[in-house]
Amino acid sequence: MTAANPHCRQARLHIGADPQHLPEEVRAHAASCEACGRLLEETRQLDGRLRQALEIPLSEFRTSSAPAPRRLALAASVLLALLVGGGFWFLKATPALAGELAEHVTHEAGSWNMNEPLSAAAVGAVLGKAGVQFDSSLPVVYASACPFRGRTIPHLVVQTAQGPLTVMLLQHEPISGAREFSEHGLSGVLLPAGPGSVAVLARDGEVPRELARRIVSEVRW
Amino acid sequence: MNPASRGTTVGSAFTRMLEMLRPDLLRFAYWLARDRSIAEDVVQETMVRAWKARTELKDPAAARPWLFTILRREHARIYERKRLPTVDVDEVEALGDPALASDGDAALVDLRRAILRLPDEYREPLVLQVLGGHSTAEIAAQLGLTQAAVLTRLFRARNRLREAYGLAAVEDVE
Repeated sequence: MTAANPHCRQARLHIGADPQHLPEEVRAHAASCEACGRLLEETRQLDGRLRQALEIPLSEFRTSSAPAPRRLALAASVLLALLVGGGFWFLKATPALAGELAEHVTHEAGSWNMNEPLSAAAVGAVLGKAGVQFDSSLPVVYASACPFRGRTIPHLVVQTAQGPLTVMLLQHEPISGAREFSEHGLSGVLLPAGPGSVAVLARDGEVPRELARRIVSEVRW
Repeated sequence: MNPASRGTTVGSAFTRMLEMLRPDLLRFAYWLARDRSIAEDVVQETMVRAWKARTELKDPAAARPWLFTILRREHARIYERKRLPTVDVDEVEALGDPALASDGDAALVDLRRAILRLPDEYREPLVLQVLGGHSTAEIAAQLGLTQAAVLTRLFRARNRLREAYGLAAVEDVE
């Protein structure tokens, strides 16, 4: 490989610029020119490391759509509310139910990223399959009739000032009292409602207690 | 299937696609901005904008370059809106950013540091190519450059990184 050789110069440019997609004449040249062949081999090795380097670990990145300071403020306010507000929220939810709810939600993780409010008709179609009504004062951005424990339940996401909350209407899951839980990195509350219960889950921070109660009051069984 | 449920199905598929590509979007945003917090904001804006414009994506196979294009625009916009200061690479290093996280592979950290230090004009096409899988023609279209200019920038980017990889730089092409 010499600077004076136009073949080498051209090959060097292509090898350095796009070693995975070389024109046929450059490949042929690299096969016959020792220096350019070595450069190609080195550059391909470098590219393997480059890919590795660019694929930075994402564990430190935020997973939510809610800005961090807001989440911290929310967590702080909820903690204060819990300290002031009474002990029954500290009861732990039935582990199996809480775990299944959180697992179900994580399998539909994309639901957290919805932003467009659904039409009343679209939400009504989902609710109708479970025979419930939900006069939500919050925009419903996701609605799916999901199989859960052998029943079809409405799985909804509402947008709030603190970010999205998942609401699951569990007509067939009666519980004895309000419970909170933390499973699969999600926090949630289960509230007795109608013949069953309502689960409200947040991906980041805690579920605001008053908001959860308001949601329950808007469900008609 | 009624229109509402068809819409939900299409919407769900789109959401799944967004979720699937989110890791690479975060990485692309990080290498553009060199700041984790800005990258997170840019990706959030990108996903909102993509969702609003989802009907414009006719070919799901083109989702990746389509999203990368949106992300580049959002990255530019966020700087316009917030007038963010230029990122100082020394500060990035001092803060121990995730790009510099190591699983005991010091050579990989050196390479990441070298990528962070590349000028924007070299780093961006390189990331589009290696991480985004864009062809040189696609990069040229994205950046508004000729393909020859893209080849030169990519060559120079790799040439600067050779040293961090323990290789001697080769003679420039011009």
